[in-house]
Amino acid sequence: MESGFGVQRRAGGGSPAVGASQRRRKMPPRAADYKLQVIIIGSRGVGKTSLMERFTDDTFCEACKSTVGVDFKIKTVELRGKKIRLQIWDTAGQERFNSITSAYYRGAKGIVLVYDITKQETFEDLPKWMKMIDKYASEDAELLLVGNKLDCESDRAISRQQAERFASRISGMRFCEASAKDNFNVDEIFLKLVDDILSKMPLEVPSRELSNSVLSLQPEPEFPPELPPPRMRCC
Amino acid sequence: MDDSKRSSSPEGSVDPSLVSDEGKNVKSVLCQRCSSKVLCPGMAVFAEKELFLPSMRKKTSIGQSDGTLDGDTLTAHWLVDDMYTFENVGFTKDVGKVKYLICADCEIGPIGWHCLDDKKSFYVALDRVNHE
Repeated sequence: MESGFGVQRRAGGGSPAVGASQRRRKMPPRAADYKLQVIIIGSRGVGKTSLMERFTDDTFCEACKSTVGVDFKIKTVELRGKKIRLQIWDTAGQERFNSITSAYYRGAKGIVLVYDITKQETFEDLPKWMKMIDKYASEDAELLLVGNKLDCESDRAISRQQAERFASRISGMRFCEASAKDNFNVDEIFLKLVDDILSKMPLEVPSRELSNSVLSLQPEPEFPPELPPPRMRCC
Repeated sequence: MDDSKRSSSPEGSVDPSLVSDEGKNVKSVLCQRCSSKVLCPGMAVFAEKELFLPSMRKKTSIGQSDGTLDGDTLTAHWLVDDMYTFENVGFTKDVGKVKYLICADCEIGPIGWHCLDDKKSFYVALDRVNHE
């Protein structure tokens, strides 16, 4: 195909080595210092997905999102002078406890467990989620409990104290409340989580700190032996 | 494929100031709608590849073949070989062997394309993003 763009075409994978010594020393683009996997879990309707999305005012139809569905996202946070890439799996649509495959838990360095402060049952579901975490997640995964829908204070069914008590009983679990709608505390959620993860890491970790599983874009489906295989469900 | 593809707006010519001497992106690559940063300068190379990307601004059933797909055949892309090169980007679920790239924050898309057969190629269409 001829180049009609007026741009000099360069080979995509060309080696820049030639002439490198002659070039002034330029700052290379800063790649990430760390790469971490994070999953967001919780019962249906608690607003997990909205934690991951910034609300905008316009009303574009999101063809991709509504018909195909989001698999995962790469997001970047900067903390303690480091650049951290997060690979975030939102498990929306698979809220049956045993249908989220164990592979999701296995590679996760951070787990955000969400409930809805206006819905008692989503809080009562938490022990079941904890069972899955205990069973499948890595022991050193950081846990963050999030009470979502803070904007619906008037419909609150779970007090802060109740949730704090729950979190305090689980070693290492942090807690915060958020409102995806008001964008309150949403970024802080990931910063808190990453902060906890970083503080546990040894000072100099090679940036190869990354399980091999992240190279595959979808975790291998794996059915825990004692549970029936997940039923495929259309959302 | 039986889908008939209608190309809407033809791709404009590429502004040469967007591409460095080494073939890399001079500017940051941002989401057109919410300005979320997709790529930092110098993190991708310019590549030409004919790819059909379904339309961003219409409700189109990408996952279902109902006979017609609105979209564009785009040729000018930013190419990265590792998904961790992105600052912020979302991936859709599989559509056949393809995952589309979307904005990580507002989820508009597709802004890019990835084929599962080639684990080291992720394309972001210049036409689907802003540069700053």
